[in-house]
Amino acid sequence: MSGLTFREATMPNGLRVIAEINPEAKSTALGYFVRTGSRDELAGEEGVSHFLEHMVFKGTERRSAWDVNREFDEMGAKYNAFTNEELTVFYGAVLPEFAPRLLDLLSDLMRPALREDEFETERKVILEEIALYRDRPHFVLYERAQEAYFRRHPLAKPVLGTTESIEAMTRAQMAAYHARRYVPNNMTLAFAGNLDWDEMLALAERMTRGWSQGPAPRNHPGFTPEPRRLRTPYDKASQAYAVVMAPGHAAAAEERYAARVLADVLGDPDNGRLFWRLVDPGLAETAMAYHHEFEELGVYLVYVQGDPAHEEEVSERIREELVRLEKGGVDSEELERAKLKTATSLVFAGETSLSRLFYLGLGYSYTGRYEALDTVRRWVMHLEPYHLGELLEARPFSRALEYWLVPADHG
Amino acid sequence: MHTLDNGLRVAVEPQPWNPGLSFTILVPVGATSDPEERLGAASMLETWLWKGAGPRGARAFADALDALGVRRQSGAGVEYTTFSASLLPEGFPAALELYADLLMRPHLPDDAFDSVRALALQELAALEDQPPRKLLGRLRREAFASPHGQPVEGERETLERMTPDALREEYRRRYGAGGSILAVSGGVDPEEVFRIAEKHLGAWSGEAPAPPAVRLTVPHRFHIEQETEQVQIGLFYKDVPPGHYDYYASRLAVAVLSGGMSSRLFTEVREKRGLVYAVSASPGSVKGFGYLTAYAGTMPERAQATLEVMEKEIERLAQGVSREELDRAKVGVRADLVLSGESSRARAGALARDLFILERARSLEEVEAEVMDVTLERINAFLAGRPYRDPWIGSLGTVEVGA
Repeated sequence: MSGLTFREATMPNGLRVIAEINPEAKSTALGYFVRTGSRDELAGEEGVSHFLEHMVFKGTERRSAWDVNREFDEMGAKYNAFTNEELTVFYGAVLPEFAPRLLDLLSDLMRPALREDEFETERKVILEEIALYRDRPHFVLYERAQEAYFRRHPLAKPVLGTTESIEAMTRAQMAAYHARRYVPNNMTLAFAGNLDWDEMLALAERMTRGWSQGPAPRNHPGFTPEPRRLRTPYDKASQAYAVVMAPGHAAAAEERYAARVLADVLGDPDNGRLFWRLVDPGLAETAMAYHHEFEELGVYLVYVQGDPAHEEEVSERIREELVRLEKGGVDSEELERAKLKTATSLVFAGETSLSRLFYLGLGYSYTGRYEALDTVRRWVMHLEPYHLGELLEARPFSRALEYWLVPADHG
Repeated sequence: MHTLDNGLRVAVEPQPWNPGLSFTILVPVGATSDPEERLGAASMLETWLWKGAGPRGARAFADALDALGVRRQSGAGVEYTTFSASLLPEGFPAALELYADLLMRPHLPDDAFDSVRALALQELAALEDQPPRKLLGRLRREAFASPHGQPVEGERETLERMTPDALREEYRRRYGAGGSILAVSGGVDPEEVFRIAEKHLGAWSGEAPAPPAVRLTVPHRFHIEQETEQVQIGLFYKDVPPGHYDYYASRLAVAVLSGGMSSRLFTEVREKRGLVYAVSASPGSVKGFGYLTAYAGTMPERAQATLEVMEKEIERLAQGVSREELDRAKVGVRADLVLSGESSRARAGALARDLFILERARSLEEVEAEVMDVTLERINAFLAGRPYRDPWIGSLGTVEVGA
């Protein structure tokens, strides 16, 4: 992939436009990365970011909801959107000939009509989505653990909102949220794959010139983790589920590469330390760890799932492994293996334009910089045991929250 | 495509631009070949194989793959077990040697057997926490009278009764080169792949048992009572098998039904009525037989209405599709093909499955030409002549639908 070029521009209204161009790619991916999510919701707005993400597809001044669905399909676009605590992302991948049309459509969608009848129909869909996740204990676990870990910090809020907040939501609230958050200076338009930069930039300029700026502030209150162990019975769980959350590093922090590799050493699903202590002996069905980055902080996450009969043993072994990691660090052989696996993953992350779009858009949204997959690979390959040791000096796992969701009859 | 003397078929799709490589080894060992008293054997075997092979114990084996940077996935399914790996091309010979150890020289150690069984029991128990998977597994079980309905994860009794000797016997009886497939895609030279395959897998002996013939039950309804928020609804229809003249017409019909967000099911069930978050229909096949399943999850008070709209939309296909619908379906399929062609993993998996189901590998160009060849007259003649109706219907939740 030697033929990649990066381009960037800022529109007069503050919209940033970036592209990683690969003339050999067979497809073009593009997307709007809006810096808004559940953490930006005010009291009474819980779940509006995600509900709005749905409403974006329900039509604009120029298009009905049916037009939107039909036009995506006429291009054969692979498209979707997602909302998390900090970002709402709308994306699609098409054959290069359709890229201008996809840009026109996605850009128009960023100014949705929010029609009242569509709002009512979609409210029902969101309530179904909330019900769907209540039948999935691992999701319930994550939501509750996140709430317990972050407490009064805005990252504690559930992305989907609650049945009550969605039932009470009004169109006017959503319109106000949209006006406040979907301002061009709070958005990035990203492209990856085969495209004509000048043509795309000109079209983007025409499509977005009427968008006006706004402040779109975000709160970053202080946060101190509180180590504790919590346990909740859940009537729809037949297995035991647990997460451990511990303080990590922010999305723009240099330490993030080391933190990701550290999490792999601990919890690679095939060959991490937890696999050999928990899954290999049959105590848990799944055990893994990863590092998740937010804007001003990060979290190490350990996830296990298995037979509720082994809860005590599993809990004890996890704590032993966390202590061993904190005290003993990582040896160079296991570090080399984890680095190589990460490096291979990065090669495969570069296979498709859509996968490149996510790396590009998410990275840029957090750091304001372009980071080629090759650059990431170099960072990772240069890690030494002492880099990971430095992270462990802060003793992150001594400040961890351990949260168990167990079957009701084990409560 | 090349067949080794021992019957192992090797297919390669070079992607000269790709700095990576993926391969899939498909072994025809799945739920369909599990003896009735040993349900779950294929799945347990797959886990057990990783507990040491060739000169290495379990941990040394995992370390050796990691040292090559191999990203891997494996698992047993209805008809076969697959082992997939993604890595840089220079590591391919060494990685294939490791997989040859895994397949041909596994230790299957007694002392790991109990933990393998414990994992299988946990996987089975975890199904209770995954209502859609539980329902769709049961739907397959209700529709097939042949072993195609057997549960991949086995049953509590069969897992508990399994012994190391019984499982080793299953390994000897079912793992072999004959009937197995190696598919490779990425930055490689086919001749080189054939040579490496011959070197490491050429001495693999054995032949998998022939797959059983498909037999169905009479279409009927069933319900699983469970305390869930949403009712899960599943439908199963007979369809044409891969390789059939009308196969691509049927694929396009499913795309009209459930391809994009302008498809009929999504429009009628979700967009117009807001009945669900998830509704879909997807094609399925086992060797020699094709089927269509449809799925939705919705709250109890709306379950009956959801089922009615789904059934009506699927039956309405018999009246034909419009030119615009067919055009959108074709563009969608074409885009899928091009996008899947970017990924070595997707291609290696598709090649292996093609070889298993069709006995030959299709190029993306061939599939695209076949799809483009389906005219409006042809698809509508197919739909009128072979309507989707009389499904098996299942529900899981607190209310039974369609009763």
